[in-house]
This record gives sequence, structure tokens and C-alpha cells, in this order.
Amino acid sequence: MEAVSEFALVKPASLDAVLEARKANPEAQLLGGGTDLVVNIRRGIVAPPVLIDMTGVAELRAIHADAGRLEIGASATLAEVAEHAGVLAHYPVVAQAAASIAGPTHRQMGTVGGNICLDTRCIFYNQSEWWRSANNHCLKTVGDMCHVAPKSRGVCFATYSGDLAPALMTLDAEVDVAHPKGRRTMPLKDLYIGHARHDGSGTGDGKHYLALKPGEFVVGVRAKGVSGLRSAYDKIRIRKSIEYPVAGVAVALRRDGDTLADLRVAITGTNPRPVLLDGTRALCGGKLDARVVKGLDDLVRDQIMSMKTTFTPGHYRRRVAGVLARRLAEKLFNN
Amino acid sequence: MNETPRKAPIGHPIGGYVPMVDGPEKVSGRAKYTADFIAPGTLAGRIYRSPHAHAEIIAVDTAEALALPGVLAIVTGEDCERPFGVLPIARNEYPLARGKVRYKGEPVAAVAAIDEATADKAIRLIKMRVNELPAYYTAADAMAPDAVQLHEKKPGNLERQVDFELGNAADAFAAADLVREATYNCAEVAQNQMEMHAAVADYDAVRDRMTVHASTQVPYYVHLMLSQILSMDMSRIRVVKPFVGGGFGCRTECLNVELIAALLARKVGGAVRMVINREDTFITHRGRPETDIRLKMGLTKAGKITGVACDVIQRGGAHSGYGVVTILYAGSMIYAIYDLKNVRYTGKRVLTNTPPCGAFRGHGTVDVRFAFESLLDEMAAEMGLDPLAVRRANYLQAPTFTDNDLMVNSYGLPECVDFVEEKSGWKSRKGKLAAPGPGKKKGLGFACSHYISGASKPVNWTGEPHATVKLKLDFDGSIVVLTGAAEIGQGSSTILVQTVAEVMNLDIGRVRIVSGDSEVVPKDNGSYSSRVTFLVGNAAIDAANKLKALMIAAAARRLDAEPGDIECLGEIYRAGAQDKGLTFEEVVSEALKDDGTITVTGNYSTIPESHGGKKYRGAAIGGTMGYSYSAQVVEVTVDEETGEVTVDKVWVAHDCGKALNRLTVEGQIQGSVWMGMGQAMSEEVAYHDGLLVTANMLDYRVPTIQDSPPMEVGIVESNDPHGPFGAKEAGEGSLAAFLPALTNAIADATGLRFNDLPVTPDRVFAAFDKRERATRGKRGGAT
Repeated sequence: MEAVSEFALVKPASLDAVLEARKANPEAQLLGGGTDLVVNIRRGIVAPPVLIDMTGVAELRAIHADAGRLEIGASATLAEVAEHAGVLAHYPVVAQAAASIAGPTHRQMGTVGGNICLDTRCIFYNQSEWWRSANNHCLKTVGDMCHVAPKSRGVCFATYSGDLAPALMTLDAEVDVAHPKGRRTMPLKDLYIGHARHDGSGTGDGKHYLALKPGEFVVGVRAKGVSGLRSAYDKIRIRKSIEYPVAGVAVALRRDGDTLADLRVAITGTNPRPVLLDGTRALCGGKLDARVVKGLDDLVRDQIMSMKTTFTPGHYRRRVAGVLARRLAEKLFNN
Repeated sequence: MNETPRKAPIGHPIGGYVPMVDGPEKVSGRAKYTADFIAPGTLAGRIYRSPHAHAEIIAVDTAEALALPGVLAIVTGEDCERPFGVLPIARNEYPLARGKVRYKGEPVAAVAAIDEATADKAIRLIKMRVNELPAYYTAADAMAPDAVQLHEKKPGNLERQVDFELGNAADAFAAADLVREATYNCAEVAQNQMEMHAAVADYDAVRDRMTVHASTQVPYYVHLMLSQILSMDMSRIRVVKPFVGGGFGCRTECLNVELIAALLARKVGGAVRMVINREDTFITHRGRPETDIRLKMGLTKAGKITGVACDVIQRGGAHSGYGVVTILYAGSMIYAIYDLKNVRYTGKRVLTNTPPCGAFRGHGTVDVRFAFESLLDEMAAEMGLDPLAVRRANYLQAPTFTDNDLMVNSYGLPECVDFVEEKSGWKSRKGKLAAPGPGKKKGLGFACSHYISGASKPVNWTGEPHATVKLKLDFDGSIVVLTGAAEIGQGSSTILVQTVAEVMNLDIGRVRIVSGDSEVVPKDNGSYSSRVTFLVGNAAIDAANKLKALMIAAAARRLDAEPGDIECLGEIYRAGAQDKGLTFEEVVSEALKDDGTITVTGNYSTIPESHGGKKYRGAAIGGTMGYSYSAQVVEVTVDEETGEVTVDKVWVAHDCGKALNRLTVEGQIQGSVWMGMGQAMSEEVAYHDGLLVTANMLDYRVPTIQDSPPMEVGIVESNDPHGPFGAKEAGEGSLAAFLPALTNAIADATGLRFNDLPVTPDRVFAAFDKRERATRGKRGGAT
């Protein structure tokens, strides 16, 4: 095993204590289950001097789920979400996404906050220090080029791979963020800023992928129940366990008689952010027919930009995201 | 006089379901592996690896690292000028690079420090200055006419070219009713055993002795190489192989890890523990090389194979390793499964700037078998023949010798084929499986494979018997098996205990085993080429028979009878059914009277007829005392929209001669199928500019339990005349058949053939996409 860099572990029991610990240690990183962070520490990607273990904060572990509202604390584990009766009954897309993450042991340890803020990934980044050094590093760390797109002019294309975010985005979820002076709430989709525009417009990319300011951190997510909303999550991966999604798709829709009354589709594992497809509402108002299928596929092709950040070709990930979106939409509409 | 004789032991251990004798330690976590041997004062060892793929070393600057407090020693190529390598004819690798580096990750220097963090820090302070040379990551690039040579004595970067033609392939194709040719590519794969490579070397400067604990399959070869590299007399070296967490072939040669640990230990005059991480274990490699195959075959209308032409290119990596043997196996093992005449083979083993490949489970045979069984299936379909009938038209008739002089004495392939045909419902289901849903198709595929039961000639043969086992019997009445056979999780210790117990007619509880400590056990060549059950098992039978004879003689003395009249019931020795007899303990005490503690030696040597022929250079490779056979049927569901392939079920039958332990035999067969599944569907060692990019368990995709299909295992017992109780190998032969059985099933389901492995969803998707575009193009509707 690789020797882990030295760090101090702090385990606060309240949110106030977390804020205090952060104030005292500006370099500190928050630790949930450690399923992502500890791997990155071992690989020398990050070396935080202080880790603040969030699992001792009882108020962040709560899950509330009924027909009216969904509220999940950032320290709830993925296994708890996947098995929660209320989540399963009223927000199946969230339960399915949680149940599909990595393997059983990861879900026992991994937290909702960790998955929502999951670091973006890339085959040139998730490597050992020796490897990255032998490859002249990259934009996401200390290098000056992106090996995925060498002509990217400073834009990093590391891919966002969390499964919960797309599921929650189809529910128009909001995210609660704490900061030293209080709290703020914003639409979850606005948390993700990794637009990675080739022309350099816009602020975010695979390196700067969250809209969190220094000192801010996610404390929970919430969504309102919508009567008649049907939802589901599915993903492609090469093996049926452990892996990050090659492409993950969440769909929520409402059917009014024979009419598609609402449609929301969010996709992960492709871009530097989870993408809530723009333009799906324009496809509503009629039957779920060939026009809708074609329209949906076009939206995926237009908005999904998967690059060579994984070992599986980007072209495949984009195309298969479209297949999953169509299949989920048809299944939800017809059942 | 009429007392009931005392009860004989219950049952015989051979042929039953016997739990592994070393299982309790493993499942309770008490088993000690190499990394667990940390004596006080043991230093941490770390390796500095080359970031360059191909370069001349100008200087390795270790001054700053050596000055770091807590660093006790640093070794570089300067510390060892002797090369190592498993084949005496191909020793061209240094424990630490000298003169040149030849792949990214090659060890250049190593540090011994008071702890791992200090060693890590020191590694970062080492600097290397080089002259970069052109690097070659594919066999084609390395063979280009103007390519710079990796090794001085290897022009064209060709490690070895093998050419033979037995019969006349061209004439055979002319006489065939159908001749087809196809190309295949199998990605490089790595073993990825659970335990990462580890060595603990302890140098006793006072007595000039070296003790090395190592995670190896071949303690003797490690011993040999340590002696060579350290220039130390073998008598001053002790090699211990504790519990080992698998190997699958990557530990069938001494690795640089053991040697570097020993060099450091001697330099500091103490103990150094070197446990390398997963990435470095991948880089140390010794996996199956990327292989390109061009295969041509002729068939008659009746399905008889008239001739075969096979060209193989292996990307071998930067050093020789087992390379010559691998490329020879790839050719010789075209034979010994079907009745073949007229075979032409050209094999090229190429040196490239990637980590050295080695002897992966199914050594040399797997990729060629994939091509062979694929093409046979494709041609059978074209001719409207049942793929099983085609195999049946080409069976061998044992006993026989193949055209390349391989000795086949037992041949259970027909029974294997029959088993999977019946159990899979082949006749009624092949080609008739209903689509399970929109966009999905189902199919069945079939293929066969085989493997050797131990190479009949060891690579380092010094003239002694091929296997030696000692048994010790002492006052306590326990029998201790002393063997150098390396238990690496495959169950060799269990088999040897069972074997001795069977011959002595005893419960296995009376038999203990000590394996893998050169200070105690007789020399053994190690666990590779599936040799242990056959060769060491026969030696154990020999030893047990000798011990039994001594016991019978002792019983005869005490009972005042002739040895020929003594009946051995295991716990009772008696002279006739009415005799109350002597207990085992009573016989032991009688037997010890003359000379005290008894030790007996059992030996086994392969017979010259098994040594292969001389029709071409290297024709001995492939020779064995017995071949195992395997047949498989694989059922798949293919999602034509996402490219996902699901294995629904596998039926596998394996001819292991005789199952000495059905529990471990079934486990080995399942493990082989499962490993084949990894190679066929998801595993690939990939590089980016020579950097191993999949060197972790996330990107190197070994199937998970979620991907594991139900398997129905059939054991076929052909009772080999030379095998111990009739046994042959069980641990490798069922790997290869899975690969073609899978792609044959996909072809059955979809009509598309996949000749490049692994068959990942993106490749399947791309093939459907291509077909759809071609169809649209024909309709004239292409846009």
C-alpha cells in the first residue's frame, strides 16, 4: 500500500463545530465515507493537513421522504438512501441512483454529500503521483495542458460521475449550503458550473466544477413531491458493480391521459457537470411518439459532450446516453 | 479370538469434497503472508522507477536522497552487474536498470529507510539524467526496419521467431472443400492476483547468510536467482514461501522485487521489507502478451480439418522473461486436441518498450485457441455443419502421438462435448432462442480447449528427479509431508495430504504438511504449468508406498508374520481378517526401534516419450505426461442498442483424468471460466505513451460477482495411465474455451463476429452501428 500523507482528523458533533474547525483550518477538507477522498490522498492527488469527519454531525444524517417533500442530510449514507422506504415509494429515481453506486461496501460508507460533490474524473488525473509526473501532469493538478484536449486553451474536461445529482435534478431539487455567516439555498443544477466551453466563455470546467465559495459546503438536498411524477434511473457500465457510470441517465415525467405532460432528463458520466437537458418541455403536449424520441435524441446529441476522459470512447458514452433516455422515458410513460 | 476387529478408518479422502487443509488460517485471517513478516528493526524498501520508456542512462543521482535523515541505503544498477531471467538462454534483465531503461516503470534505484514515508520522500529526491531513444509500444513499430534495438543481441527486436511446417499446408488447402482465413487480436491481460508482490529480505552479516520471504510460485527459482544476483553460495541462502495470495503465472519466475529487497538488505546488513502497491504490481506485469493472429484453415464437407496455417505475433515487452517458451507453446499447442495434419506455424516474439510479459494461466495457448475455435465455428456455420459435429469429425484416438510428437494417453474430450451438449439442451435450443425483449437477442456458443499437466522437462533441469517428496514419521504417530511444491491458493498442499492419506489408508487428520521453506523441504521446481498434482502427486504416492512398506515390515515383525500377509487398514495392521491386529501407534513404535525417526523419499520423473520431439527447434515445449480437455457452452443475451453482453449461463466439462478433490477441482474450473470471461469481456492492459493507464482495480476490469453467471460444471474422468490415481490437471485447461464460446454465442445471437478482445459494449455497439449504416447505404437511404 501507498503510505498516506499525514493529516489530523477532527470529528465535530455539530454544524457549528464544523464551521469552527474549518475556520481554524482553512486547508481542511471534509470527509464523508472517504470512498473517493482517501483514494485520492493515497494517490497523492490531494494532501489535506486536516480532515473534518462529517459523520458525527447527527443533524446531517437525517432523511425525510413522504409524498410532499424529500430532505436528505449530506452525511446520510448511500445505503440508507437506497433502502429508505419513503424514498423508494415517492422518489424511486433517487433510490435507484443510490443503489447503483459502486459496490455494497462503498454504499455503506459513502455519503450523499460526498456523491453530490464527487470530484470530477479523468484517466490522466486519477493516477498515481509517479504516473502523473511521468505524463507531465495536467490542468486539473499542477500541469499546463489538458491531455484529453491538448488545444483546449486552459479548459479541463474531467468528467462528473456522481449518480445522485442527475436523479435529484429531475426532481428540481435544491441544495442547502452552509457558510460561516449562515446558509443559502440554490437549485441543485446551479451547483454545477462545469460548462467547459471550448471558447473559454463561462467560468467552470472539470477543474472548477462546483459553485461553492471558499468556506462553503453542502449540508443537504431537498425536493418537493410532484403528484403523478414518475421517475427512474439507469446507467451503463462495463461491469455490473464498482464502476463509475459510462453514462447514467435519470428521467422524470408526468403523463396526463395519452399526453406527455412533463419530461425532465438529466445525464451524468459524460460532461464536466451533470446535465439537465434543456428543451425537454418543448417535447411535451402530445403522445410519446417518434417525434418525441427523435427530439430527445437530438437534445442528447446537442448537449452531451463526452471526451476521452475514460477508457471507454466518448462517442459511445454519448450515443448510449440517448438510448437509455429513450428507454426510460418509454418505460415510465407506458407503465 | 472372535473379538470384532477394531474399526477401520471411515472413507477414503481421494475423490471426495475435501475442504482445503490450510483453509482455517485463511478464513480467520491468521494466515501470514510475506508482508506480515515484520521483525523489529525491519526497514521499508521503495523502488524508484523510470519515467522514460527507452533511454540511455547518463547518471542516477542519489546523493540528496541518501542525505535524508532516516535513509540507510540506496542501490542502483551499479550495485549489481549480473542479469537475471527464468530461461538460462535468455537472461537479459537487471534487477535495477544498467546502461539503459526499456520501459516506463522499470526499476532504476531503490531505497531502504526507517519507514515508508521517509522512503517515499527519498524516492522523490532521486534524479535521473538520460538520452531519450525512440520508444516502441506496438510489435509493428518495434519490428520496423529502422527501429533502434532494445537489446544488443536481438536484431530487429525479435526475441525469437519460430517456424515449422509439418506436412504440407498448401496442398491441404487445395484438397479442402472450404478454406477461410481471418485475423484476430487479443489485448494484453494481467493476472491481478489479490496479494501484491512482496519480499522481506534479511541479511545476517555475521554469518553471511540471506533469508528471503517472498510471494512466489517458484521458491527454487528465486533461490537460484538470488544466488546469481548476489554472487552468494546457494547454501548461504534460505527462501521461505509463506501463504501466497494467488499468482496465476505472474510469479512463475523470480521478479525484480525479491532481488532488489535482497540487494538492499545486504547493503544495510539487516532486514528490508518491500511491499509494492497495486500499480507497481501491474507494472511488474508478467501477463499475457497482446497477440495478433492470422489463421487459415481448410475443411472438408464432412468437417474434417485438412490443414492449418497460423501466424502469431506477440508484443512481449522489454525483456525476455518466458517469451521464447510462450511463442513456442502458441505453436505446439495447436496440436494435441484434434487430429491435425499439415500445420504451418510462424511465431514472432517481439521486444517492445512495455513491461515484460510472462506465463499467464493457460500459458501461450489461450489466444491461439480463441482464434482456432472461432474460425472453426465460423466455417462450420458457413458449411451448415453443427459445430459439435465438426469437433467430433476431428477427435484424436488415444493413445497416440501427434505430428509434433506430443504423447496423448488419455482423451476425455468426447465425454466433455457430450456433457455440455446434453446439459445445455444444445440440440433443441441452438439457434432457436427467443428474443428476451425489444432490441435484445439470445445465442448459444460452443468451444473446446486443453492444457498440459506439467511441462515434461523443467526449464532449469539439473538431472535430478522431476519431483521429490519426503515423509517424516516420528514418535507422535503423525506423518509430515515435506515438499517444495508451492501452495499459492490452488490447493496443492491439500492434494498432497490427501494423496499420502489415501495410500496409507488414513484419515487426513494424521497427515500434516510443510511446504516452501528451503531450510526444511526438498527442492521443487514450483507451481506452474499445472505440474504439481501430476508430478509431485506421483512422488507423494511413491513416498507413501515406501513408508507403508516400512510399516508393514514392522507389523510383520511384531505379529511374527510375513510382510505379504499383513493387511494395512490404516489405523490397524493385521495378519488376516481374524487377527485383532496392531494399532497404528503400535506399529509406529515398532518401526522406530531400529533407527528412530523415519524419513522416506519419493520421487517421480517424466518418461522420455513425453518429452516432445525434435522436428523443429524448441519442439520439446508442449510435451507433458497428460493433457486435460475442456468443452464449454455459453448462453448470452446481447443488447443491440447498448452493446451490452450478458452471460446468462455457462456449461463446462473438464477432463481432469480423476478428480482427487471435487471441491477444489470444481473451484479451479469455475475460476478458469471466470478468468476467461475477464479476458473475453472486459480486461485490458492499456498504455498511454507507454504509461500503463489501467493499473488499478477500477480501470482494469476484472469481473465482479455481479457479472458472474451460473455455471454447471461437469467433471470427466478419463483415468490417465500415468496420472496419480489417474489424475491430470484441473486449473488451466478450461480458461481458453470460454473466449471463443462467448464470441461464437454472440455470433449466434446477432450474426456478428468479434475477433478482437475484449468484447466491450462500445465495440459491440460500434459493430451494430457499422452494420446499420451499411444496410442503410444499400437501401440507398444513407445521409
